[in-house]
Parts: sequence; structure tokens; C-alpha cells
Amino acid sequence: MSGEAMLRYVAISLVFLVVLVSPVLSADTSPKPRITDIHGEAKGGKAKVHFTLRNAFSPEMVEALKSGIEISFETVVRVRRHHRNWFDTTVGEITFSRSVRYDVFSRVYRLNRGKEVDLLPDIFTALARMTRYEVVVPLTSPVTPGKRYQALVRTHLDKVGLSEPLRSILFFSSLWDVETEWAIGAIDAP
Amino acid sequence: MKETPRRITDPSPGKDLARRRREKIAIGIVAVLVIGLTILEANLAAVGGMAFSSNIVIFALINLNVILIVLLIFLVTRNVFKLILDRKRNILGAKIRSRLVFIFIAFSLIPTILLFVAAANITTTSIKTWIGRRVGVALTNALDIVRENLEKEAASLSVVADQAASAVLQKSRKVSLEASLEKARRGSSPDVSLLVVGRDGVLAASGDVTGEIASRIRSRLKGEEGNVARGGVMTFIGESYASAARRLPGGRAVVAVKTIPRDEANKIRDIAKAYDEYHQVRLLDDPIRASYIATLILITLLVVFAASWMGIYLARQITVPIQMLAEGTEKVASGDLDVRLDYQSDDEFGHLVGSFNRMTADLKGMKKSLEDANVSLSSTFEELRRRSRFIETILTNISTGVIVIDRAGRIAMINKVAELILSIKTDKVLGKPYKEVVREEHYETVRTLSREVGETPGRKVERQVDLSVGGKEISLRVSLTALQGDDGEYMGLVVAFDDLSQAMRLQRIMAWREVARRIAHEIRNPLTPIQLSTERLQKRFASSHDHDPAFSECTQTILSEVGSLKSLVEEFTRFARMPVPAFKEGNLVEELRPVVETFRAAHSGIAWEFEEEEIPTVWFDPFQIRRAVTNLLENAASALKGQGRVVVRVAHEPGLGSVRVSVRDDGPGIPAGDRDRLFEPYFSRKEGGTGLGLAIVSAIASDHQGTVVVRDNVPKGAVFEIEIPVRPKGRG
Repeated sequence: MSGEAMLRYVAISLVFLVVLVSPVLSADTSPKPRITDIHGEAKGGKAKVHFTLRNAFSPEMVEALKSGIEISFETVVRVRRHHRNWFDTTVGEITFSRSVRYDVFSRVYRLNRGKEVDLLPDIFTALARMTRYEVVVPLTSPVTPGKRYQALVRTHLDKVGLSEPLRSILFFSSLWDVETEWAIGAIDAP
Repeated sequence: MKETPRRITDPSPGKDLARRRREKIAIGIVAVLVIGLTILEANLAAVGGMAFSSNIVIFALINLNVILIVLLIFLVTRNVFKLILDRKRNILGAKIRSRLVFIFIAFSLIPTILLFVAAANITTTSIKTWIGRRVGVALTNALDIVRENLEKEAASLSVVADQAASAVLQKSRKVSLEASLEKARRGSSPDVSLLVVGRDGVLAASGDVTGEIASRIRSRLKGEEGNVARGGVMTFIGESYASAARRLPGGRAVVAVKTIPRDEANKIRDIAKAYDEYHQVRLLDDPIRASYIATLILITLLVVFAASWMGIYLARQITVPIQMLAEGTEKVASGDLDVRLDYQSDDEFGHLVGSFNRMTADLKGMKKSLEDANVSLSSTFEELRRRSRFIETILTNISTGVIVIDRAGRIAMINKVAELILSIKTDKVLGKPYKEVVREEHYETVRTLSREVGETPGRKVERQVDLSVGGKEISLRVSLTALQGDDGEYMGLVVAFDDLSQAMRLQRIMAWREVARRIAHEIRNPLTPIQLSTERLQKRFASSHDHDPAFSECTQTILSEVGSLKSLVEEFTRFARMPVPAFKEGNLVEELRPVVETFRAAHSGIAWEFEEEEIPTVWFDPFQIRRAVTNLLENAASALKGQGRVVVRVAHEPGLGSVRVSVRDDGPGIPAGDRDRLFEPYFSRKEGGTGLGLAIVSAIASDHQGTVVVRDNVPKGAVFEIEIPVRPKGRG
């Protein structure tokens, strides 16, 4: 093998090594966030879905929250009609964000739920409101009573509201990575 | 044919050149992309509200940037490795190129690393200073002071809220809420507003209060719904307001609000923002530092690799003309002056290459001039050599001996005839002063002659000189001429001499022939009467002198002697009347071989050998030549007395245009004293010899315009050589 070919071989191997090994090295061993306790009821033109987001807030994120950093989750809730021998059909879907931020002057946690803002006096209430959901999903077709319906839920960290100078400094960094798998739960259709 | 100059262009082969061009373009594109994408990422990240981790564009850009940087590193590293390999392979120019690249990298690396270390330290120190305890305490204190002031304001509003609540509770049905609130507000400060808030919003308001503040207060009341306030009054503060609320039955509440002036509110907001940032920085200390360091590393890497690539590029720019010059110089050193360096630049290297090209062109011109001069000189030299050879040929072929002496008295030239006449070897005397070469016994003669001619240019002296050479007396006609140069200066001497010995011998022979003819004539006439008279006496007086033996003896003696005299006269007559040679062209070898065979048969005790060379046809008289050789062979056989060896050799002398017949025997030889007279008539050491045999040989040789000589054979015996021209004058 000529020197040049050897050099090419070594360089390509190094690049592949970096690309392949770096995700493994950076893998996090903390508990993965997940969606649990999915249940609900579909009736008429809408479905009410309840679920809980677990392991979403790491201690670092709680500290960050206390330091005034806004944390926002984006959640997708999809309702679908389940068929035993055919493909499931989606009958409704909603995507929404919920964020929380500590107001250091007022000493309250500002929970933003779309158009509504709740000012919560302590962190426990704030965390509970960020992880327990009750969502109404408008459906595209009326629910057939007695049939099987499922709710699929997925949440991920939408944004970390750093202050302006920090946002410029840390634009290369991803501080936390919160993203759940799709979780499925059956909902009633009385 | 016109020569096409060989051009040395960029040393890289075409394929390599194309690849290098592609690499340059690739590196350029990568660098531009890295810079462009970095700016784009910064702009995108600066857009407020954009989340990092979930934004695919940002991630894609970052990853692409990393890949491009890796590619840049790969390309630069590859070039560096290639340079190292070139250096190991001892490729011309690789050493200086690697040295330049090393210097470039070192000069870029050292300040960049220093800058990196300094920047990293400054960054770390700045962050530490920023998040230092004193800043934190100051911010906290500032915030506490503001908050305390506002809380005091809120506390002072509790009275107003109580009074308003009482007014609202005690109002009659006819009075509206707004009126009772207005009435309650009359006793308080004008910047205080009163609100009645229900579960569904603001039920009544008195004073100027913004919807935002009202909304916030309502949210606070909702958040505190389960809490029971001490004394029934709750206070809320915000950046732009201070308030106190008293709950009323039915989920309602009366709120007294004091709005903070806009400027003051902005200041409070700034303090709160600074407090937030402080705590965020404190919390994200490590990621911020890591981000700064990563950015610095990235910039450092970019600078280093850009500098490396620039180093490689510049080194190449510098070494290419050097490499071309080195190759060109090698070619010039090996004699190729058609080399031309194809390098265009307006820098010093361009001038250098231009000078090189001019130099090679000049050298080529000079070489051509030299070659032309050489051709001209060669032609002149050839002409001179031709003339010299012509003169040499003339000198070699003339019968006159010639010796040339230069102005320093050294022998410059001797021709062959001179060698033969004087018995000297040219290689032993050439270049030597003639005074050293001249024999002692001849010195006086030579000195006299040289004194006579002196060094006067053009002067000529002629003398007849008798010398003894090799025990043989020779007579020479010597002519000395002082040579004159173009400027009239003395150039040396030319000594020309002819051997008069042969001519004198011929004269003697002619004289002897005349004598012989006269003797024969004078003697032959009285011999016949004497013989007849004696025979008559014998017949007439024989009977009377029967008893006298003296008579018969005397008469018989007379008759015998007369017979002898007759024979002698006959020989004389024959010698005197040698016929003119009848020349005809023939093969001399074929003519002489039978003669030798005859002697081989007659003298079997003697070894007769016949040696021959390839000789041309010769003009000669066969009868006379056979006779001459026969005489020589008879002499040899006589000298050997029946035992010995005789070699007859016929040789060709192309340079002299003659053939030589030599008869060599290993007999007793010829004494030195007899050699001068050997070819004279009537000289004989042989018992019963007439002394005419060798004289006849000499006469035949002369009649053939040739010569006959005798010399000693080695180790013993004598050699007789007859030399005759292949084509005598007037023949052939």
C-alpha cells in the first residue's frame, strides 16, 4: 500500500470513528423521560385525555428553573381509532406547549398554558402543573361508541428560555435533551 | 534543423496538478462554507424564542460545520503527510518546502496557542468576576430594597383596601360598585386605584390601572385561592405595581393598587433581569466556559489549519521556481542548453527565471560561436595537416636527405632518406640539440658548415663532405640554408644532402667499363697471332724438340696463358658491353623462384628459403635480374662452402615505391674494410674469382635505376639487398 493510500485510509477511519463513537460517549445514563397513565374518554366530537410526564425535570433543570430560566415542553396528542385487522386511523390530533418561568421579583412561578397564565406560589405546584395534563382533543369524526380508541402522546423539551446574552453564548450547546417516545394508552368510548 | 527549446513547466504532473487544483477549490469552498454557516447559525440562534435542541436547521448546520471542519483538517493533514512522504523520497524541492511549511506552522501555532491560552484565561476570569459573590450580593440587596419598598407600599395600601371593602359591603343596593369604590378612594392618594375582582374578571374599578396589572392581580388571587391571609389582607407586588387585596364573600376581592411610574418600573425590571442573568450564569458556569473554550478551539484550529494550508501554498509558490531552476541547472550542467523554464511572475523569482533563460540562451549562442570557431579551426588544422603531410610525403619520397633544425638548435625533422644515409633513428634524436647528436668525428665538419651559414636568414652554403658512417665511407653533397620567417627573422636551418657514393660508384664502373673495353680491344688483337704463332711453332718444331721438354712446356704454357687471357678478355668484353635492360612488366617472384630452386638442387647441403610478400607487378629485365640474383646466390653458396642457410626474400616498399630483393646468408660475412670496394670490378677475395660478379650486380641495379647494398646479417653472415623501383622513370 502506498503512503498516500495509507494516509487516506487512516483519515477516513478517524472520521468514521469520531462520527460513530461520539454519540456513544455522550450517551446519558439518567432515567429517560416518559409518558405514563394515559387514559381518557372520547365522546361526541372530542376526546379528553389524561396523562403524566415522568422524569422530565432533572435536578439541573429544577435549579435552572429556580434561576429564572424558562422551560417549555411541546406535546403532541394524537387520538386514533384502533382496528384489529387494518391500519389504525387518526381521528384527532393536537399540539400544544406549556412553559414555566420563575418571576424572581414577584416570587411566583408563571405557568403559561397558551392563552392562560397561572401564577403559582411554589415550585411543587409548578412542577405538578407541568407534568400532569388533561387535554381536550377535537376529533375530525364523531366517536363510535363501543369501538376501541387509543391516545398517543409524545413530549419534548421545546425551548430553554435563556436570557439574551446567554442565548448567543450557548447557541452551540444543547443544555438538556428531553424527549419521550410515543406512549400509547386506551381511551374509553362509552 | 531548427531545435525546439525543451520547456520545464510546473514539476507536478498534469494529473497531480488537476488534483491540487481541485483540492484548492475544495479548501476554499470549505473555508467559505464554515464561515458562512457559522454566521448563519449565530444569526439563527440570536433569533429569540428559537429552541436549540429541537431545531433541525441549527443541528444540521452545526453538524455540517463540523463535517466541513473535519474535511478541512483532512485536506490539510493530507497535504502535510504528502510533504513528509516527498521529503522521505528525496523529491527535489521537498526539503525546502517542508522547512517553509514547518516555519509557517510554527509561526502561526505559537501566537495562536498563546492567544488561545490568554483568551481562555481572560474568559474564565471574566466569568468568575461576573458571577463573583460581591456582584451577587449587590444584585440581591438591590432587589431586596426595591421589593421592601414596594411591600411597604402594599402594606400601606391594606388600610385603603380595608376601607374600600367596608364601603363595598355596607353600600346600599342603589349605589353602584364603582360609586362606592370612588367614594372609598377619595380619602387616599390619587395614584391609588381600587378594583373589585370576581372569579370571571374585574367587576368594578376606580382609578387608572392597566389591564395587564389587573390580569396579574387576578392571577395572583387565583393562585392564592386556598391560602388564608393573616388579618384577611394579602399584598402583591410586581415590577410595575404594589397592591393589597381583601377578600369578600362570594369569591370577590377588593384590591387597592398603586401603579409605579414607567421609568421606575423599567429600572426595577432591569434589576430583576440582571439578577436573573446573574443566577443563570452562575448556574451555567461550566457550559458557558466550555462553549467559550470550544469556540476558541474552533477558531484556533481554523487559524492553524488555514495558516498551515497557506504555508503549504506559499511554500509551493516559492519552491516551484526553485525546483524548476534546479532541474534546469542540472540539464544545463549535462550540456542541454535548449532548456527553457516556463514560469511567469512579476516577483524576484520571475526575474531569476528570466535571467536563467537569458543565460542559457547566451550560453547556447556562445556554444554555437565556439562550435563554429572550432569547425573553422578544425578546417584550418586539417588544411595545415594536409599540407604538412604533403610536405612530409615530399620529404619522404625525395632522394635527398633532409634535416630541419629549429631556431634553438634542436632537430625538428628528419626524413627517411636522411635516416638511411646517416644510419640514425629519428625517435632517438628528434627534439635534441643537434650538437649533442653529432658524432665526435663529424663535429668539426658540422661546426665549420654551421659557422659558414651562421644565422643570417636566407643564407645558403653548399659543400661536398666525406663521412664515415657505420664503417662505410660516404660522400655527401650538403646544402645548408638558414630559414627566414615572414618578418625576416631567423627560424632555423634546413640541411639537405645527397649521397654521392652511388653516383661515384657508377662513375667508377663506367670508367672501368671503358678501361675494360680498351684493354679487351688492345689485348684481344695480339692474342690470336700469338696463339696461332705458338701453335705453328709446336707443329713445325715438335719433332726436332722431341727430347726437349722445355719447348713443349713453354709453348703449352703460352697457349694456356693465351687461353686464359682470352677468357679474361671475354669477361672484360662482356662487362664492358652490358646490354641496355629490356624492361617488361612481370611478376618478380615468379621469375626468381626457379633460380632459387636451381640452387637448392645444386647445393643440397645448404638450406635455401624463399620468402615472398604480396608485391605488385614490376617493370624489369628478367634476364638481367636473374643474372644479378644468380651472382649473389653463387657468392653465398661459395661463402657457405656447402653448409648453411640462405634466405631469399622479395618485399614491397609502398612508401618508397620499390621492391627489395634480399639475399641473406649465415656465412663468415664481409669485412668492413672490403665493403667500399666490394662492387668495384676486379675486387675479389674469392680464390679464382674475376671480381666482376658483384660489379655486374651493381651495374644491373643501376641500369634498373636501383641500388645494391651490403650489410651485416645478425648474428652472422651478410645481407645483399637489391632495391629497384616498381616503375622506373620512363616506364609504366
